[in-house]
Amino acid sequence: MQANENASLSTVNYKRMKERVKDLLKSVLELDTISDEISQYNCERWDSLNHLNVIVALEEEFDLSFEPEDITSMNSLDIICSKIERLMQ
Amino acid sequence: MKYHIFRNHTIEPFFKGWDVSFSGYGDISIIEDQKMDAYIWWYQLPYKVNNDIIIKEIENYESLLSLAITNLIANKPVIIFTLQSIFKIDYISSDYRIEKAIYEHNQKLESLAAKNKHIKIVDISGFYNHYSQEQLIDWKFYYLSQMPLNPKLSKDFQTWFNRQVEITEMKRKKCVVLDLDNTLWGGILGEDGLEGIKMGESYPGNAYRSFQEYLLELHRKGIILTICSKNNEKDVIEVWNIHPDIILKKEHITTYRINWNNKADNIKSIAEELNIGLDSLVFIDDNPAERELIKQLLPEIAVPDFPNQPYDFSKWMDSLTYHYFSTYRLTEEDLAKTLQYKENMTRKQMQSEFSDFDSYLKSLEIELTIEPANEINIVRMAQLTQKTNQFNLTTHRYTESDIQNFIDNNFWIYGLRVKDKFGDNGLTGLIIIEIENNQAYINTFLLSCRILGRKIEDEFLKYMLIKLKNTGVEVVKSDYIKTLKNSQVENFYERFHFEIDASSDQQKSYSLNLKKANNIVLSNTYKLIT
Repeated sequence: MQANENASLSTVNYKRMKERVKDLLKSVLELDTISDEISQYNCERWDSLNHLNVIVALEEEFDLSFEPEDITSMNSLDIICSKIERLMQ
Repeated sequence: MKYHIFRNHTIEPFFKGWDVSFSGYGDISIIEDQKMDAYIWWYQLPYKVNNDIIIKEIENYESLLSLAITNLIANKPVIIFTLQSIFKIDYISSDYRIEKAIYEHNQKLESLAAKNKHIKIVDISGFYNHYSQEQLIDWKFYYLSQMPLNPKLSKDFQTWFNRQVEITEMKRKKCVVLDLDNTLWGGILGEDGLEGIKMGESYPGNAYRSFQEYLLELHRKGIILTICSKNNEKDVIEVWNIHPDIILKKEHITTYRINWNNKADNIKSIAEELNIGLDSLVFIDDNPAERELIKQLLPEIAVPDFPNQPYDFSKWMDSLTYHYFSTYRLTEEDLAKTLQYKENMTRKQMQSEFSDFDSYLKSLEIELTIEPANEINIVRMAQLTQKTNQFNLTTHRYTESDIQNFIDNNFWIYGLRVKDKFGDNGLTGLIIIEIENNQAYINTFLLSCRILGRKIEDEFLKYMLIKLKNTGVEVVKSDYIKTLKNSQVENFYERFHFEIDASSDQQKSYSLNLKKANNIVLSNTYKLIT
């Protein structure tokens, strides 16, 4: 039985990617600290305009293009990371 | 610098990190802000398949701008971007009406600036020209967030715009200090002699000629030219007097130091003689050692690099202009040193067709449709409660089932649809009213930012108040609940003579006695469909 090696990023790569996303969020949202649970619901600065800035920055940082359906749903650190992981395979 | 920006599309990413406030879309109302330093006006053409609508949009911008200008705080600078189309649909390739309308609009901007010292025009095509159409437009973001310009261009935009602001503030250099050998001509005068230096029609002489012509043009525009060269003065004067190819002559040079002393002392002496600061000087010399010397000893002086090859002069001259010599407007002082220019007599005037804002509003042919909640619009209504932050009195967030719940409990739920001669904005307003006996409570009153600035909110509320009164309601209660985003509606209900029943930092509660309210009159500016 062959394991599907491409099912997800290796843990190391995922962690690295997540750190990049966290740094990016900190920078775009102008935050001093950032928690792993950060989302549009618990971060006042993450309004619809800043969400736009976040998406643009993510597209440039990871050289990806997100579809509108994804963009509207990418409103937390976790969801962002899972979308990026899916696209990076 | 704090800016207030009038705009009709989403451009916030382009000013990220700056101290700015944004108007509503197409909203020209002024916010009282003591700390604001300057205004920016940046209107962009939308993507429309009907070119006639584009022409109407341009006329609309002109009316808005004229009306806005009269209301601005007089002495604060206003930076207006020219209009430029990045979308173009050529149905008829000989149909130049849009180009013509854009051109005339920009001409009107020029004459507006000519008459008003505090108004400066910045040519946005200076930015657009660096990009292809694919680079300029990201369609995804256009449809998602009404951004005609690709947000990935933000950083470049900021660099370019900062430079434009410097130019409008007229911070250009006043004086050039020039070397001679291998700078104004090819070769070394002392070694090659009068006949050997290169300034003629063949390469590399022709490149040096271009450079001299460029400097002559700077001189005509009021830049002072000086020479600092290690040469025998006698030899140089001979070049000026008899060399057939020399373009830059003694009469164009304000002062010179042609000797064998070090250049730093010479340049200091030039600055003193001209009585200008070192930071107004640009030093141009082909010799990197001399350039380094001046950079070290006189760091205030601008020392651009020099091209390795004469064929690179043109590109380099453009960058000199861009970095040091662009100016917004030549002052009288500048022109006194230069030739007279003929004035452009045929400038078009920027005018509003409308004497006041209400007539302008009427011209928009605004149609307001007020419709009750139904199984189709309920989706959009819920969405409006989720997304609307600014013009939202209570900021309650509801789902479709919440709204269905209200309907089942006989609440009054009305949506507002706004259409005008430019198109249909769709359902962009919402009111939710709870009625018990003869008392009504406005649970929700909100409008999408897209339709603000046209007093539509007033009409919507007035219509509902009249309807409530006709139903026999005697008292209308409402609340203002303060959030970070809705301060613009802090005093909204006061305008309709609601009385404050209770007030705290976070909230105000109001009531209006409808029996006493006899002068609620609908405007004839809008066509109301109910």
